[in-house]
Amino acid sequence: MNAGSKDKLQAQASRRILVLGGGIAGLTAAWELAQLNFDIELAEQSSFLGGHAIQFCCKAAEACQKCGACSVEKRLLEVIQEPRIKVRLRSQLSGVDHNGAFSYVLSRRPLYIDPKRCTDCGICFEKCPAPGAILRGFSKNDVPLYAVEERCCLYFKDGSCRLCEAICPEKAIDLDRGAEALEGVADAIIVATGFHAFDPVARPRYGYGINKNVITALDLERMLREKAEVLRPSDNRAPEKIAFIQCVGSRDHQLGHGFCSQVCCAYAIRMAEAISHRFPGMEATVFYMDIQNCGKDFARFYERAKDHIRFVRHMPGDIFQGDEDRLIVCYGDEKTGRASRESFDLVVLSVGIMPGLSNPALAETLNLAVDPHGFLASTDPLDSTTTGRKGIFLAGTVQGPKDIADSIAQAGQAAQRAARYLRVIHGRSE
Amino acid sequence: MAEVNRIPMNTTVLVIGGGWNGIKVASELSHAGFSVLLVEGGESIGAQGPSQQLIAASEGELSDLLEAARQDGGIEVLTSSRVVSVNGAPGDFHIRLVQGDNFLERNVGAVVVALEAQKVSMDQSYGLDGHENVLSQSELERVLVSAEEKARLTGDGSREVLFLVGLKQEGHPVVMERAIRSAVEIQDSAGLQTTILVGNVKLAAEGLETLYKESRAKGVLYFKVREAPLVKQNGASFSATLYDNVLHDHVELTPDVVIVEEAILPHPETEALGRVLRIDRDPPGFFQPDNVHFYPVRSNREGIYVIGSARQPASLRQGWTDAQNAVLEISRLLGTGERLVPKEKAKIHRGKCTICLTCYRVCPHGAISWDNRAIISPVACQGCGICASECPMDAIQLVDYEDDRIKDQIVLAGETRPDSPQIVAFCCQNSAYEAGEMARTFGSVLPEGLRMIRVPCAGKVDVDYILTAFQAGADGVLVFACHKDNCKSERGNTFAEWRVEDAGRMLEEIGLERERLQFSTIASNMPVEFLRITRALEEKLKQLGPNRIKKQAAA
Repeated sequence: MNAGSKDKLQAQASRRILVLGGGIAGLTAAWELAQLNFDIELAEQSSFLGGHAIQFCCKAAEACQKCGACSVEKRLLEVIQEPRIKVRLRSQLSGVDHNGAFSYVLSRRPLYIDPKRCTDCGICFEKCPAPGAILRGFSKNDVPLYAVEERCCLYFKDGSCRLCEAICPEKAIDLDRGAEALEGVADAIIVATGFHAFDPVARPRYGYGINKNVITALDLERMLREKAEVLRPSDNRAPEKIAFIQCVGSRDHQLGHGFCSQVCCAYAIRMAEAISHRFPGMEATVFYMDIQNCGKDFARFYERAKDHIRFVRHMPGDIFQGDEDRLIVCYGDEKTGRASRESFDLVVLSVGIMPGLSNPALAETLNLAVDPHGFLASTDPLDSTTTGRKGIFLAGTVQGPKDIADSIAQAGQAAQRAARYLRVIHGRSE
Repeated sequence: MAEVNRIPMNTTVLVIGGGWNGIKVASELSHAGFSVLLVEGGESIGAQGPSQQLIAASEGELSDLLEAARQDGGIEVLTSSRVVSVNGAPGDFHIRLVQGDNFLERNVGAVVVALEAQKVSMDQSYGLDGHENVLSQSELERVLVSAEEKARLTGDGSREVLFLVGLKQEGHPVVMERAIRSAVEIQDSAGLQTTILVGNVKLAAEGLETLYKESRAKGVLYFKVREAPLVKQNGASFSATLYDNVLHDHVELTPDVVIVEEAILPHPETEALGRVLRIDRDPPGFFQPDNVHFYPVRSNREGIYVIGSARQPASLRQGWTDAQNAVLEISRLLGTGERLVPKEKAKIHRGKCTICLTCYRVCPHGAISWDNRAIISPVACQGCGICASECPMDAIQLVDYEDDRIKDQIVLAGETRPDSPQIVAFCCQNSAYEAGEMARTFGSVLPEGLRMIRVPCAGKVDVDYILTAFQAGADGVLVFACHKDNCKSERGNTFAEWRVEDAGRMLEEIGLERERLQFSTIASNMPVEFLRITRALEEKLKQLGPNRIKKQAAA
């Protein structure tokens, strides 16, 4: 069959696809399919598109370190400018029925700020008296840029405040708006609901949540992105010695996490490199089991990193509070095996990618398998987008740990598989 | 809106490399309605590719795929063939091939490079070349698929097998997985003791941590060492002494068989093919620049895509992920055989052009060809403007960013007379412009005298623009580019930096302070840095006082 007649078939075919999850994988799958003239409904459970990756900082040192955070920014802009993609924020899949096509229901939490009216002026954000009640997206490309967080909002607590409604010059805020159920039909579904970052409270020996100067790598990402500096939380002073601890939550068989998170060595080394380049007084030490590769030219990248970063092959035992808010890290010396203690100003826990919290419910709703670690299982060893159900494809970290580049690649694959699937079902039904 | 042309796109795709990635992409392209020309240098397709082990593991699927590809009327296979020249533009490439003594000519719309990497034994690096009972990983895998040879290897079951991995090169999950799988197989089936000496255990791929754990449960021993041990032939067996960091003691191993890892290197044809296709390679020599803008499968030229181990060491699964991405790119590019493109993205002034070919040489996207005059393909052109700024005759204008219009903006910026220093910032649309807009959206107070001028790429910023800005009264000029290795046009940032250096020298010659002109790199997601950089320049300019040219003009 030639391309022309195939296309005519395609044009008659139904062209609706539901993408679940608005992180880098979901954005990519949605955008790629829109370029092939499919109509996309993109559901994101949080108030903003971009997922975890939109919170990440640029890690360039002297040169770009290829973390890919900027590609998320670009993809987000492309998606919001794409008329074929209908974005549904604060929305989750609540039910689905498969009779040839997928009939589904998205339950949407109230969108208190009307994206059509909001002009991003930020007055609500500035004037809101309750910390955390008005959230701002991480990127200027988030539409709307602001959202109301019920848990912190005084109106939802005791009805005592409606200041934002009153002061919004565009009258874009309505705190009485209700939740909605949005019904839709799609011929294929791409599941790209992402991951959950390991909560290091479950690894108490590192003292996260107790010692202020123990932070997660995600905290550091956001600090670098929002403030462009590194400060230790206890006194807002610049640390001199920073320790990165790898494999926090991942490769941890005691916790039942028998998988490598694949991204932590990459982000830790890249952030340590960026920090030592931007703030020459700071020294970074990375405690690790095995250094994992990233990028196209890892051997050279790692060699160069060794000039600026100290790598210690030992997983620290305990971390406790020393003088002046410093932290004492206990670890074994690789050569002698003797116990060492060393103090640091800031400890960064390289927390791993864990299965998304919504995976069990999603697996049940969509009748998909879950792998032994809790990620949604792919059923084809040569194609990780494949599920046991026709017309449903996986993309990104919902299926297992991966970095931005691999998430983009898998999302492209899922988009292509979905396009191919629609071609096939159409061919059969005509 | 610029004028649009409807141009025909050839829907035949050339696939170079008949390994498993080449076959996969050919088959998927055919399914999507494209005709495929699959060119393989060797005598048959499907002969090379992933490890023997993987082929054995997924044999059914691979042999079905090969059979289907052979039967597929939409796929023409040319073996013992080589591409010798590629001309034209995406949608209309003219290909010349050699098959034996024959020259063939074909027209295609797009090209997929699916050359498979080569695996080269590192026995020499370990000082083990020429030894009997030293096998490379690939040799071992070939032994393991033959029952007879396997029995010869394992002998009476009392032998010890030692693997050397990641000690003479930075390891890789693809290399690691093969070693672990072989070790498990030997340990499982013959009860031999296998030991893996390894630098870093590379497990950053799906399922590898589980495999690693299972292998240890089955008795495979691992020693993580810093350096490769000296392995000596000792009669019929070997001796290897190493320092173990867990026992904190020296350990002596006496293996009967040693398996050495392989380096994964670009296919031997890579360099030559790169010249034919005019596509760039990364520092290790694989196709595709090491630059996030090209991920996953783009090359620096529109219409030419690189997949699998043509671009980096990759498992079969990763190669097939790439294959699907290439199909996606090609579907978007060629569509149904027609494409709407702006009539021109860049205009060449025929009277000014002297066919010096500067534009041809500097275009990072291979978008320029010539035929008694330079021709810019509107499909291939990415609109970066590097050619326009490098052209010694100023014969090229970008339709969306004509020099006169940019200069108007520069002059307009000079007409405002803020109380604070006046700064003209040339902002690449991919980075600084976004960062500046984000800073503004987030309510940052940018310098009062800052004027952002959007350019398609820092490579579009001409020395002329900079001088015009100072002439028009700017107290300072900032040229913002993307970070090194992050330019969407690869070298636009480098060109911009050179030009800032040139312009800086000129400023000094006319007696203006060099510090008034600054080159900075930034990314789109760095609003705070944007604020910091522009504020810092503002402070510096306050100290320097107003631009002398402006003062003279005012006087």
